[in-house]
Amino acid sequence: MTMETMNNYNGTILIVDLAAKSCSTQDLTEELIEKALGGAAINMELYEQYKDREPLILGSGFFTATFAPAACGGVMTAKSPITGKIAHVPFGWLTGVELKLTGFDFVVVLGKAAAPVRLWLHDGLSDINDSADIWGKDVWESTDKMREVYGDDMAQMLVIGKAGENKNPLAVVSENYWGGKDKAGLGAVFGAKNLKAVAMRGLGSLEVADGFFQKCVELKNGIIGGAIKGKAGLYDIGAALGIDAAALDKLKSITHRNDAGYNCAYPYYTFLKYNEAPTFMDMMGGSKEPGCLVSDLMGFASLAAAGVDAARAMETCYRLGLEPAAAGALLKKQGAGIEGLDSLAAGGAAEGLAAWIVNGALDSAIAAKTAAFSMAVPTRAIFGGSLDADGWINRQAMAYVLGIDPVMAVLCPEITGEKMAELVRISAEWDDFSADALHTICAELVKKSA
Amino acid sequence: MALKVDPMKCTGCRICEFACNYHHDGSISPIGSSLMYYYEEKKNYYGMMVKRDKTLMLGRPEGEKVLKPGEQIEGAGASAKPILLRIACDLCKEEDNGPVCMQACPYGVLSMEG
Repeated sequence: MTMETMNNYNGTILIVDLAAKSCSTQDLTEELIEKALGGAAINMELYEQYKDREPLILGSGFFTATFAPAACGGVMTAKSPITGKIAHVPFGWLTGVELKLTGFDFVVVLGKAAAPVRLWLHDGLSDINDSADIWGKDVWESTDKMREVYGDDMAQMLVIGKAGENKNPLAVVSENYWGGKDKAGLGAVFGAKNLKAVAMRGLGSLEVADGFFQKCVELKNGIIGGAIKGKAGLYDIGAALGIDAAALDKLKSITHRNDAGYNCAYPYYTFLKYNEAPTFMDMMGGSKEPGCLVSDLMGFASLAAAGVDAARAMETCYRLGLEPAAAGALLKKQGAGIEGLDSLAAGGAAEGLAAWIVNGALDSAIAAKTAAFSMAVPTRAIFGGSLDADGWINRQAMAYVLGIDPVMAVLCPEITGEKMAELVRISAEWDDFSADALHTICAELVKKSA
Repeated sequence: MALKVDPMKCTGCRICEFACNYHHDGSISPIGSSLMYYYEEKKNYYGMMVKRDKTLMLGRPEGEKVLKPGEQIEGAGASAKPILLRIACDLCKEEDNGPVCMQACPYGVLSMEG
């Protein structure tokens, strides 16, 4: 099999040297795919290859942008300024798919730019653009401005706000306007590189194997008839996890619609409207900024526990590029209101970041084994199945390698190693690829990330 | 017979768009699909359009609407216009299991009418 016929991938790795303001490419070889498959595992290989040059790696998973269930995932890999260890931070919704459709499966970002820049990836092309126009602007303004400059409202962004520009460990890399799963401070890594954003728009094309689509449909049908059946939105997840009822009731009262990431059978992104009636549906009229999209339940609960209007405080965190769970914990400690968030983005410590506290013993057991995966993902099975620490870690590693949404990997026990290995076998035409082989790649990822 | 969208069941996951493209040309891409997702992200306003043989169907949160040639696409945003150049929905007549978008959608948004 040559690279031209490798299903699911473009076959290209982009290398960006920020200091030299130059880009080059290398082939994504079948040898590397055989060794590490994709996502965080290939990111880790590239990280080691370039480890002396402050690498930040953006990767797509083996299934990202395909018909595999919940295949919306991309993943960033860098050294966390909080732990000093390797962190893999997933990015999803529509951003992971967009990365792969730009024509670049992986992007290695090296060194530091002399002045603020952004990376513009589109249709197999890569530009390093000056970003004085948006440096200092918040995440919402920056996203709007980049879409205006590039003339495309469908362009997807990974972008930082004030917190990231200040190299604050509480900073997140935001997916468009709505924050993300960055609990590792990679927003500060962007800031240290003078990298304001990675803007992506892809109208590329990927080949998939014969028979793959039908297998994926079968698996999807199993998922929608399985543990998630009859459930939707953040509310049902929060209720199952025992999140504070008053915070959940507030969330429910201002819920507009539940949205899903690419090919995700459970819509866990919930849009909250507080600047107009939550039921308002019209394109015309109404507020241009009626509310915000929330997927980080613990961030929301943490802000609610601080006694502030959690939905509006989420918006403020999004604009500042600030991690909401830690921000909520710090506001509570300081007894401050929403206005306190601005000073947290300027300074602040990395306190309170291990924020998923619904199952303390399990969180501690996971933390003792690895800090490589995002704690934005619930650490227990939610509607069905069961997970111990090793089970959660294995499931996350699999999701991060394959490009499966990591929350969906917890929500859907139907996404098993055996089923995923079968889809890999079909895709890669590797007749002997087994669930054990997939597990070995995942275990190696956990080990190398320590 | 025509493909129909129930916009309030839609979650914007976009898999129908990619499935449709796969039906038309065997690859994964958003550009050759008879279906198109459109959105105003900060308003969380989104829907699906279907390019039919002689009409364009808008599955909008306000309700469904069928446009005839020459009618303006109001309220669908500038990003909606490229669909007029797309290949029309052929109802996947050659597919063994019916329309691929209906097979792929996890939410039952798409159905046949007429």
